[in-house]
Amino acid sequence: MSLRQKLLLLFSLTVAAAVAAVAWTVLVRIRHVFEMRDQEETALFVSQFQREFQHRSQEVAAAVNRLAKSERARAMAFDLAQSGDASAYLTEAQSMAQDAQLDFLEIVSADGNVVSSAQWPARFGYAEPAVASASATPFLKREDLPDGLTALGLFAVHAVSGTQVRLIGGERLDQSFLADLPVAPGMQVGLYGDAGGVASSDPAVSAPHPSTQAAFDPSRVLGVNGNLPGAQYYQSLIDAARTTGQQVSGIVSPTNRREDSLNATAIPLKNGQSNVMAVLVVAIARSGMVEAQQRIRAIAYGVAAGGILLAVAFSLWIAARVSRPIEQLARAAEEVAGGNWDARVPPRGRDEVSVLARSFNHMTEQLVSQRDRLVQSERVAAWRELARRLAHELKNPLFPLQLTVENLMRARDLPQAEFDEVFRESTATLATEIANLKTIIGRFSDFSKMPKPELERIDARDVVERVRSLYENAASHDAKIRIAVDVAGAPMPLLADPELLHRALSNLVLNGMDAMPDGGVLTLSAYPKGETVVLRVADTGQGLNPEECERLFTPYYTTKQHGTGLGLAIVQSVVADHAGTITVESSMGGGATFIITLPRAVS
Amino acid sequence: MALNMACNANCPWTAVHAVGSFVVFTGDSPMPNLSALLASDAYLIALTRTADGQTPQNFIGTGPFQFTSFVNGQLTLTANESCWQGRPFVDEVVITGNRPVRDQWLDLSAGRADIAEVPPQEIRQAQQQHLTTVVSPPVELLALDVSDSGPLANAVLREAIAQAIDRGALSNVIFQKRGEITASLLPQSLTGYAFLFPTDRDLNKANELRGGLTPPPLRIETNGDPIMQLVAQRIALNLHEAGFNVQVTLASYTRSAELALRELPLEGGDSAAALEILLRSTGENVPVARRDPMALYRAEHDFLDLKTLVPLLDLPRAWAIGSRVRDLRLRADGTPDLAEASLESTQ
Repeated sequence: MSLRQKLLLLFSLTVAAAVAAVAWTVLVRIRHVFEMRDQEETALFVSQFQREFQHRSQEVAAAVNRLAKSERARAMAFDLAQSGDASAYLTEAQSMAQDAQLDFLEIVSADGNVVSSAQWPARFGYAEPAVASASATPFLKREDLPDGLTALGLFAVHAVSGTQVRLIGGERLDQSFLADLPVAPGMQVGLYGDAGGVASSDPAVSAPHPSTQAAFDPSRVLGVNGNLPGAQYYQSLIDAARTTGQQVSGIVSPTNRREDSLNATAIPLKNGQSNVMAVLVVAIARSGMVEAQQRIRAIAYGVAAGGILLAVAFSLWIAARVSRPIEQLARAAEEVAGGNWDARVPPRGRDEVSVLARSFNHMTEQLVSQRDRLVQSERVAAWRELARRLAHELKNPLFPLQLTVENLMRARDLPQAEFDEVFRESTATLATEIANLKTIIGRFSDFSKMPKPELERIDARDVVERVRSLYENAASHDAKIRIAVDVAGAPMPLLADPELLHRALSNLVLNGMDAMPDGGVLTLSAYPKGETVVLRVADTGQGLNPEECERLFTPYYTTKQHGTGLGLAIVQSVVADHAGTITVESSMGGGATFIITLPRAVS
Repeated sequence: MALNMACNANCPWTAVHAVGSFVVFTGDSPMPNLSALLASDAYLIALTRTADGQTPQNFIGTGPFQFTSFVNGQLTLTANESCWQGRPFVDEVVITGNRPVRDQWLDLSAGRADIAEVPPQEIRQAQQQHLTTVVSPPVELLALDVSDSGPLANAVLREAIAQAIDRGALSNVIFQKRGEITASLLPQSLTGYAFLFPTDRDLNKANELRGGLTPPPLRIETNGDPIMQLVAQRIALNLHEAGFNVQVTLASYTRSAELALRELPLEGGDSAAALEILLRSTGENVPVARRDPMALYRAEHDFLDLKTLVPLLDLPRAWAIGSRVRDLRLRADGTPDLAEASLESTQ
């Protein structure tokens, strides 16, 4: 991964993380705000319900109070007290309830027995225990009905003025009650009365405590328009309200979609003994809130995505801006490493990278300068070495030539015979030395005229065999040197110039033989190694020290007294022309081994 | 054929056919109360077919009044000049049907009617409103019909039901003391032995007879009459106390409830005939011997011992009459004898 990619990734991740964190924080905050608003809305409705409930209570109490104070009720109470005959008032409660627009009304005598009942006329003569325990304030009561069911009502009790006869009247908490509640759009209201069904066998006994009753029955949750749809989803809340007697709130999810969920509150309705008589369920659809949340979330995601894209683009620009000089530096360094020391980096600005660029440029300038100086000095050194070598090589034949010429000049005074003798010897010497000079000049000329290799497919075994056959005879005259050959049996194809390779190998063999004046073993070996072929020429001579090994292939460097220093330079040139390498392994007293590695020809 | 249809499958005779001007009844057993039976309302004579087999255009009748018209719920009868009993005093009788009792009373007070119905439970109210009332002796038996099959196949449970019912509340409150408490089929005034059948409620005995059993829910069916529904609800309450769970339902075409309120007529010229008519109306086919109080008592006792019919109250019929009505008498079945009544001229 490049520096630019790393920078881009780093910047992008940093910005994305920051944007995500901000978006998450915003969303959490928004959700919290919406939930708070939901709770406030529910609390508002609950308080409205409580006010409405209080208002209804006061209405019921007022209606019963008016009836109790009416002349009709007082006359009835007086007659009951006088005659004790309650049969005449069997239908009185129905008539009075109709006049007062009450759903429930019972006239109860001083002994606590029902004189007349509007809701259950046949119940006359039975005791009404609610009268004894009722206080002045309105209360909830579950009323048994003739059809075997029960109904929840809001009741009030008032004694008929000046008598022990009491009226207990009430209004039914049913659909009309729910319909009168201040219900906002999207709000559901339900009333769960779980004491329905078959009435108690003893009509004098009120409905039992809801918590002791049967399991939750969704069909008993009454809504404004009949049964509350989806009532079963409120079971847990209703059960909790029935059990604890406390208001319970929660989120109800009829489906897996969040927008279908409802924020529901179950409000227990209790009688005077704090028994839960019914549970009012208020459910507010969360669709508006969820949709608003989703819109805000979509906007947040859009903004975040845009921000991230912008951040990525900005990161790209920043990364490019930061990494471009470094990339230029890297490319320049690669060029320098590749040998182009003229590579330069344009310096920009005044930051650390520009300092680095200027330093790099200065460094490469220094390198070029030093290289030029080194080349110059090496060139001078080479010329000096060449001059020294030439001088040394030419001095050896010139000195005999000078002596011979001086001897010949002195011999002119000698008798003719002696002069002839001297002249013959001198001319012979002159010819010999001149031939030596020619040889020396030829060698230098050969080194300067290395031919280009003419490649052809050959077998390394043949090359080794040709060298062996050439020098085995020569070595055989000198019994002290023995030539050994160790060649692999398999073909070792090479793409090489056979003459040049033969010449290089011959130079190594001659060097090896020169290195063993006291005799030894010269070993020629060839073997394949991977995709290469290795040729080895090893002697058992004195060997080379590390400095000699290091400078051995330098032109004109020689360890021999009469060498030109061009033999191994020619070998290295031939090997290099064949895309190969040559190395030397040696230790003092352990001989030397030259190793040529050439690429194996592709079949 | 019409006679057979009247008594359905519970006829005392096995065959009946006309021979000239005679009608011959053939039976397997004596029919001592045949004449009383034939005189009851179920066997009223009407001309349903003419001599040539056609449906008559007008139901004329042979009584003191003849059918004239039936328009908009009003039945108009006119005096039969050639009635075998003699012409009635009243020229025309107009009967308006489906009129609420309170409206009838208003009509009576306003002079728009001369006779109005007064249900037994309203007699007291009518008298408090200073209406002139004519009340018959008991002419109807209010009883609880208890099915002897299904959940009440056990006679002990039926006995528990009979013991649990508070007849006093029905009579004193619902019927405003105008119903005579009874546990016998025939009233005391007719037989003299009705007191032998105990009428008191015994809730402890009812619970004891039930023996801790929890019978399945029962239904008591009534007609749509509010007073009968009230009676049924009261009985349901009484039975609740005795451990029975009873629901009040409206009567259907085919009876399906285990309990039913029945209003049985107390007809017949004597106790034996009245008992036979009553028993036959309950579906029993028991010829009752004439002039044998012991046999009557036994027959009644044996029948009541089945606990399939629990007598509750003997109820009268009552009418409120206008100020210009003179000499109105009630017949044995409690209906007004319009043929003997006359109207005082308004002038």
